[in-house]
Amino acid sequence: MQKPGPQIDSRIEVVTPENIAFQYRVAGPFRRMPAYLIDILIRIAAILVARWAILLLGIAGGSSFMGFGFGAMLVIWFVLEWFYGGLFETFWNGQTPGKWAVGVRVVATDGQPINALQAVMRNVLRAADALPVLTLPLPGGGGMMELFLYQVGLWVPAFNDRYQRLGDLACGTMVVIDATPALYGVVRITEPEAIRLADLIPHNFVVNRSLARTLSLYVDRRRGLSWTRRLEIARPLAEPLRTMFGLPPQTNADLLLAAVYYRAFYAPTVAETNPARGIVATAKPPEPAPPAPWLIPQATSQSQVERLADIENYLDRIG
Amino acid sequence: MKVAELLDTRRDNWRQLEGLCVQMEGRGRRRLGGAGTARFAALYRAACADLALADAYNLPTGTVTYLHRLVARAHNQLYRSRRFDLARWGHELFHEVPRRLRRDNCLRAALLIFWGLFFAALLFGRHSPEFLNSLIGKDQLENARDMYSKQLDREDASVSGAMNGFYIQHNISIGLECFAWGLLFGIGGLVDLAFNAVQLGAIFGYMTTVPEWHNFSQFVTAHGPFELTAIAVSAAAGMRLGFSMINTHGLSRIASLQQAGREAMPTMGAAMVMLAIAAMIEAFLSPSSAPYAVKAAVAIVSSVLLFFYIFVLGRPPRGVPDSQASTTSAIAQEPTSAA
Repeated sequence: MQKPGPQIDSRIEVVTPENIAFQYRVAGPFRRMPAYLIDILIRIAAILVARWAILLLGIAGGSSFMGFGFGAMLVIWFVLEWFYGGLFETFWNGQTPGKWAVGVRVVATDGQPINALQAVMRNVLRAADALPVLTLPLPGGGGMMELFLYQVGLWVPAFNDRYQRLGDLACGTMVVIDATPALYGVVRITEPEAIRLADLIPHNFVVNRSLARTLSLYVDRRRGLSWTRRLEIARPLAEPLRTMFGLPPQTNADLLLAAVYYRAFYAPTVAETNPARGIVATAKPPEPAPPAPWLIPQATSQSQVERLADIENYLDRIG
Repeated sequence: MKVAELLDTRRDNWRQLEGLCVQMEGRGRRRLGGAGTARFAALYRAACADLALADAYNLPTGTVTYLHRLVARAHNQLYRSRRFDLARWGHELFHEVPRRLRRDNCLRAALLIFWGLFFAALLFGRHSPEFLNSLIGKDQLENARDMYSKQLDREDASVSGAMNGFYIQHNISIGLECFAWGLLFGIGGLVDLAFNAVQLGAIFGYMTTVPEWHNFSQFVTAHGPFELTAIAVSAAAGMRLGFSMINTHGLSRIASLQQAGREAMPTMGAAMVMLAIAAMIEAFLSPSSAPYAVKAAVAIVSSVLLFFYIFVLGRPPRGVPDSQASTTSAIAQEPTSAA
């Protein structure tokens, strides 16, 4: 694989003991902030539920229970405030309910799952990321309210290529996107003209890696484009290929790239097949339609006329 | 062999591996059994080989992305670190942390700053009313006086239970805040510690001038040693974190911070335990009507315990000079176990 330049996107490479490198996509603030807000809502809901439960039990159990109940509720509030994230990330393999809803996960920077120490400490150090804090008088009067501006936690990841806030930096963790994409296989080429064009490509033409990757990118996207746009995109790559293969100038650029893709990913060439069995194609081309008008070239010179006649004979034979 | 055939043969294996990953994430690797685990390992090796040869096979981009994610997921299941090991945490709490505390310059600095500012504020509060009013405010001082105007005689255990919860929440939050703010290059924790010291000292100074001093001193005696030492320990742990970014001992700043973090968190754990004990004493013993001798005895016993913890348990192992005793924590060194 060619060496990547300076990183400009959010993919981080991790090298494992098996000596392979796989890539994670790190999650930025627009995924982590909603997860944090969902966690706050869940915590508020849990505290309200605990409060109601203790009130009901207190009414049933008498006033002596109420004191202990109140103390228990304060302890529950303390645990939820400081250790909610740490406990969930330890037992759920790096996810809290908010993170699970958004689809991100906390892993160590070398790709391993986080241990209990890292999980607890990164959540305790969130108090440093929540600075600066404003102490304001409550609107209704009678007490002070603390407003956490969370500026440190927003600016420190901006200067970091793994989007790590202070808690992540101190623990060696990062938050990655956990989504599993669908398995994309080889795209099926449906135009019969492209399949026929694939046979006109010289048999000793080998598709190298960068060309294969480019073709797969192009063929993945071409279904969503109009045919003028396809021609526009395919022309710079198809022109050199066309002259290399000796095909007529009116060859459709988009179909030519599809044909090379077909050659690279589907059909064996004659040289690769068993000579005793004749030509075998692994993917059966669909029932051929008459050649499309844009493929039938106009002859401009005598030699070209002969060559075009050859091509037409060949097309009729296999068609 | 062309890519389409290749994908057909490999796709089954990848789907199997994905299914095993889902199983392991859901129910853990114990449910897989021996055969399942062996199958998982074989499939993982095959998927790693596929990814390594993805370029040679000319796989499409979407398939390569899928393989990256699949291998990452399986890697997370295969390489797990140990979660909770009580024996290790016990060793950490009773051997490593005292050794570190005994040698810690940050702890000495934190104690010096705390007690120095405390006594300075006490003297100021005793002699200068303007200082008190500007720092604390008249009505809060009146509140403090009212709290201790009556004899200490709480017999109701449930109120003590409530206050226990309150003290746990309030004091441990202050300790954790001191620790976390120390990350700001050590200054944040120092500021928080100094602020608390001055406030406490001022209130103490004020109370020495009023007749409620008698009740007040009875109240604070029992839980004083644990609480004040724990605040200093948590501030010292935070300062360690912050100063590790300045004095890196040859490592990069981030690596130095991570190493200090592995040591600081267990220290903070010890401080939290001390604060929890102090909260229980403060809730159940201090406001009760037990005679002052009992509370003073508890204070003396807690001081002796703290001394024992730091100076006796913190002795370096035999034959090793003080400066070379082990510094890295046992928890952070736990080896990751492969399934």
